[in-house]
Amino acid sequence: MSDSGIPDGTSDERFTQEALAWVDDVYRFACSMTRDEADADDIVQETYLRAYRSWHTFQPGSDCRRWLFTICRNVFLRVRERERRKMDVATDAEFEALAALHTATRARQGGYEDLFARLDLGPAIEQAIAALPVVFRMAVVLVDVEGQSYEEAAAIQGVPIGTIRSRLFRGRRLLQEALLMHACDAGFATAAEVRARSDRSGGTLMSANLHTQTGAKRHSNSHSALDP
Amino acid sequence: MIDCEEAMRQLWDYLDDELTEQKMAAIREHLAVCQQCYPQFDFERAFLGAIASARCNQRASGALRMRIRAMLREVGSAEA
Repeated sequence: MSDSGIPDGTSDERFTQEALAWVDDVYRFACSMTRDEADADDIVQETYLRAYRSWHTFQPGSDCRRWLFTICRNVFLRVRERERRKMDVATDAEFEALAALHTATRARQGGYEDLFARLDLGPAIEQAIAALPVVFRMAVVLVDVEGQSYEEAAAIQGVPIGTIRSRLFRGRRLLQEALLMHACDAGFATAAEVRARSDRSGGTLMSANLHTQTGAKRHSNSHSALDP
Repeated sequence: MIDCEEAMRQLWDYLDDELTEQKMAAIREHLAVCQQCYPQFDFERAFLGAIASARCNQRASGALRMRIRAMLREVGSAEA
């Protein structure tokens, strides 16, 4: 590192090895915020410019990807500041968690218990994430897609953990609502539910089978059925 | 023993592994015996799994990589 703080030759090599290695992740994160590839390109370039200039502040051995995400998020917010409206995003995480209970119950009762095991749901999930308001989208992308903890996501966004949690839970509930609507439109109800509906029409209530996939974020199939 | 409402209130925190070990254990115990809550847990776990697997394969284009490298060279030589 030179006295001016600008990376010197050795530091340049480290920057190339450590920071540029994450360009796909930064690009994906930028795309999730902008929903526009050209805008994402500009944001990623600006991110790397800022990262390069402040490389001397990066702590060797710390999480370079998270550091780049933080810069990327700041670049995005600055670019967007001109058009940004202050959104009221005050949400109650507890309320969102319980509201999701109703969504899930409705989904199961409607014959959509296998909804998330469907291999053809991917495009609908991507569209639903892209349609989320940006603050909820960033929380969902960071925690659910990129696998950051609440604490890490909060640090990247520069907000308290409680805020991330509220935004995340609201984002998840909105996603579930959107995917359930998609499932209804696409006629994804299971054969079990079709039978149950038939039985219900004859006066018998039949419970639907419950088969869901395993393997959620940070969850290994080798864990017991109750492990998260 | 916690009740259903408390378990469901913290279900996402549980699935995210964001609770203390004591709370994690309390919810695990509840789910093991509660037939009402287990399907909810199963559904939410599948939901998070689907979201995680939706991670797209978007990659930075070759043009963008070249732009960044050119910019870094330019800035590096100008500020050195």
